[in-house]
Amino acid sequence: MSADAGRVGLNSLGESTAEAVERALQNVAPGAGRVGAVKAGNGTEQAAEQAVQGLAVPAVCAEVSYVDGVTGGNVFLLPVEGARRLAATMMGESGADAAEGTELSELELSAVGEAMNQMMSAAALATSGVLGQEVEIAPPKLRVVTTEAEAAEMLRASAAPHVLTTSFTVADVSARLVQLVPNAFVVRMDRALDAQTTEYTSAPLGAALRAVPVRVWAELGRARMPAGTSLDLPTGSVVELDREVEDPVDLYVDGLHFASGRLRVAEDGSLQLEVETVHGLQNAGAVAELVAAPSPMAEEPALADEPALEAEPALEDEPALEDEPEVADAAIEPEEAAQAEPQSPTQNMEV
Amino acid sequence: MARVLVVDDAAFMRKMVSDVLLGGGHEVVGEAGDGVEAVARYQELRPEVTTLDITMPEKDGLSALREIIALDPAARVVMCSALGQESKVLESIKAGAKDFVVKPFQADRVLGAVEKALS
Repeated sequence: MSADAGRVGLNSLGESTAEAVERALQNVAPGAGRVGAVKAGNGTEQAAEQAVQGLAVPAVCAEVSYVDGVTGGNVFLLPVEGARRLAATMMGESGADAAEGTELSELELSAVGEAMNQMMSAAALATSGVLGQEVEIAPPKLRVVTTEAEAAEMLRASAAPHVLTTSFTVADVSARLVQLVPNAFVVRMDRALDAQTTEYTSAPLGAALRAVPVRVWAELGRARMPAGTSLDLPTGSVVELDREVEDPVDLYVDGLHFASGRLRVAEDGSLQLEVETVHGLQNAGAVAELVAAPSPMAEEPALADEPALEAEPALEDEPALEDEPEVADAAIEPEEAAQAEPQSPTQNMEV
Repeated sequence: MARVLVVDDAAFMRKMVSDVLLGGGHEVVGEAGDGVEAVARYQELRPEVTTLDITMPEKDGLSALREIIALDPAARVVMCSALGQESKVLESIKAGAKDFVVKPFQADRVLGAVEKALS
């Protein structure tokens, strides 16, 4: 991973997360908004202090950790004055009428915690989007920090190597979103960016990777509907997809929108995909045979596990890995996996 | 009118949901602040409808839902989730939840979900 790629990935994560938090914040605190750009700090020690510099204290701090084995999370710091006004707004009162003082009642703290929970959930969703995979979060931990040093110490304790800070205004009070980003995320972001930009001819697969079986499927189209509607779909109902008949079909390899092409029917009745466009390489002519019973696609459109019902996929063309449409589900055997690399425009890719 | 158990780790959300339910003519028979308490209170109270938050300490809403459905396959549970937990929502509905409401709540949506669960 290059330093540039890492910076691009971090910037992308910082921006999308800050935007998501801003939207969630505006749901509970109309008028709240972002102030300035996302700032990246260097090294946890120094960055932690920079992140909380000038923050009014005491401040309510909501910390949401990732739970998939990586260190890091998101922290939102809101001075008590702003927290009190936010709680008042959430309880249907005027934020301007909120009583003054440094203590928050249990209900006020709970209201602020809920607002922060919604913001942090939105942040996790945005993070999932950038990483291209779902990120699970723990329930938010709420505490009140009374000094800048205490706030900085809390951030340092995360030991996350990358610290991104965004300033917000909430009820006329300056607040901070601090993203504590683990290295694992930077690597995943780099991979996601690579998937969008790599010229495959310049990055050949290593010998070991060539033998790794990958899952390949074709996607006819997508639809969005409420989960309840999908569960209530009667047999015989018709679901409209977002493609026209003449539109190309997308081919996915292990979650990556790898190519697009045209469906064909082989002499034995099995479906094939003739690849017209390979991402990152204008390459046509390869044929991907979808070894399946004749026309399983017609009977089983990408609906049962339709990824669009869930969080919007990060990479616009990539469905969530856990919910791959079961259109053509087969592993490429080692020797065929090697062939699948789009370096030769005339290879046959059999799945 | 239904007898409802309200489960959320945030006291504010419990109050908010309870206020909406009371305003809609329902009876809030109990509250719980985590999944463990939710299962215990369900057994004890046997409410007609349970509103269940997803992200909670001790035991999350999805695990609590599975236990409640195991105890009472006819349980009517409405899941409550923050934005970004849609995949959990779908999982919950597969596990037996009747409906879900995404935070921030609209009163009508909460009442509608309870009505749907009762129907």
